[in-house]
Amino acid sequence: MDAPVIDVRDVSIALGGHQIHRGLSVSVARGEVVALIGGSGTGKSVLLREIVGLLKPQAGHIELFGQSVWDATPAQMQALRQRFGVLFQDGALFSSLSVEDNVATPLFEHTDLPRATCRRLARLKLALAGLPPDAAGKQPSQLSGGMRKRVALARALALDPELVFLDEPTSGLDPISARAFDTLIRFLADSLGLTVFLVTHDLDTLFSIIDRVIVLADGRVLGSGSVAELRHIDDPWLQDYFAARAPEGTHGN
Amino acid sequence: MSAARADFDEAEGALRLHGDWDARAESALADLGRRRVRILDGAGITRLDTNGAWLLLNAARPQAADPVPELRAFAPQHRAMIELVERHWDVTAAQPGPRREGVFEVAGRGALVLWGHLIGLFDFVGRLVIELAALIARPGSWRWMEFGAQMRAVFVGAIPIVAAMQFLLGVVFAYLLGSQAQQYGASIFVVDGLLLAILREVSPVIVAVLVAGRTGAAITAQIGTMKVTEEIDAITTLGLSALAVLVVPRIVALLIALPLLVFIGDIAGIAGGMLVTKAQLDISYAMFLDRTAEVLLLKTLLVGLGKAPVFAIFIGLIACRMGLSVTRDARSVGAHTTSTVVQSLVAIIILNAIFAVTFVKLDI
Repeated sequence: MDAPVIDVRDVSIALGGHQIHRGLSVSVARGEVVALIGGSGTGKSVLLREIVGLLKPQAGHIELFGQSVWDATPAQMQALRQRFGVLFQDGALFSSLSVEDNVATPLFEHTDLPRATCRRLARLKLALAGLPPDAAGKQPSQLSGGMRKRVALARALALDPELVFLDEPTSGLDPISARAFDTLIRFLADSLGLTVFLVTHDLDTLFSIIDRVIVLADGRVLGSGSVAELRHIDDPWLQDYFAARAPEGTHGN
Repeated sequence: MSAARADFDEAEGALRLHGDWDARAESALADLGRRRVRILDGAGITRLDTNGAWLLLNAARPQAADPVPELRAFAPQHRAMIELVERHWDVTAAQPGPRREGVFEVAGRGALVLWGHLIGLFDFVGRLVIELAALIARPGSWRWMEFGAQMRAVFVGAIPIVAAMQFLLGVVFAYLLGSQAQQYGASIFVVDGLLLAILREVSPVIVAVLVAGRTGAAITAQIGTMKVTEEIDAITTLGLSALAVLVVPRIVALLIALPLLVFIGDIAGIAGGMLVTKAQLDISYAMFLDRTAEVLLLKTLLVGLGKAPVFAIFIGLIACRMGLSVTRDARSVGAHTTSTVVQSLVAIIILNAIFAVTFVKLDI
């Protein structure tokens, strides 16, 4: 098997005098769809920001594709950034650009393709993300929350990265849109061979599309494995978490 | 990792592909020219993503009506990738660029926007009057805290800049007037000219411009951001009126602050003028003040101060209305803030011209 795509070793960070991570280690293999869960304030989003190079941990080592994120030269980091895409929690679309140009921006910046070709590829990404053709010409402010997420996903996929990070992809979506989004992520992961690392609170996402779940608690990894395996871990938060949904999933969440 | 390469076989019309096919692989297709590709041979492909698959299909099918090329010796995952892109082929058809608008279209659109601003201002004034009537009926609901905070921001915060600007303008005016009057031995008339210019025109207009840029822009940006973060909606659903909570205190604060600022500007401008007339024309401070007492009419001061509240109302109305009409994106806040400053400046200049003509006709 290949070297892991994401390799986080013994990472520690304190923010505002509060210790968030204490020697946390996580590893994700190529092609895996992994979810990160944990109570509020356990540092899920912080870990995501550390891995993508937005927030520097005070100790520890983070590698993406075998390249250390925090020891990379600016040129190496730039090359690395083209190999992963990030979907931010609220989409973070550029409000001054049309939907099509939002998705085409990474192609404008990082390839030598003519702008017209970039826009045609952007429409391909929008279609893959399940958006109707007429969405391309709209402004982000004209779209619903679910559509904005899809546009953000299309932008994250613009350069065909091998790895995508999704920060709460289904939060703020109605259950039907959320399930459709889950299905889409799984479909894209399978058909494009993506490695997916997502932060979520959504139990339905965990039960439907995830290969492996990583649980954070007290600044460390509490457990890692399938949902069934995690059920056996004796931790009050985790027990409450799974108790929030009936085992058969009869009444939703 | 190996660079993408494509060899064309003339006899079969086959394109033999090698290496990694992604968004950077386009140059490998550059020397293909207009040759017809009937077969894609994928035996040598090491990596294929959606961008690469699209580039290959596009090279083989420059026109949408062209037949789909035959895929030969593709690995299953690469074939699946081509098929995935193929399914969404139609949406990526080349589209005509955005239509360019003609002169009349741009002018017409501009005129409509202008008309919309005018109508919007009338509508806003109407709603504000209703709000004010309700406030007068129930004076207890007047927001002292908000009003105090606004007075501090609009008035106290603006004193240093207003005084400094007016002082410098007084210096410049006195110097220019002095250098002319000196040639005719009419030095003392510099005082007359300075007083008239500063009190009647310069101070009201310059202070209004400063306040429009400083406070008007701040009001629009603040209310606009509250609109973006749904704070305005929260105010409404709590049963409060955004007009009463946000708009009325700001406009009243401007209404009181602007005349006071103009008066401060008057004094600073005269002080600047006095300094220069003493240095340049040897007119002592006492002589300056004597001459002032002799020639200054109360109406000159009042005309200047009287314009200020009118400017204040327009600045406040424009700034608050533009803030409330911000839509939910970052660009809108910037555009509306710019619009506030432009509209306020235009309004100030137009109002000042109307005042000038009216006062002349009325012999004031």
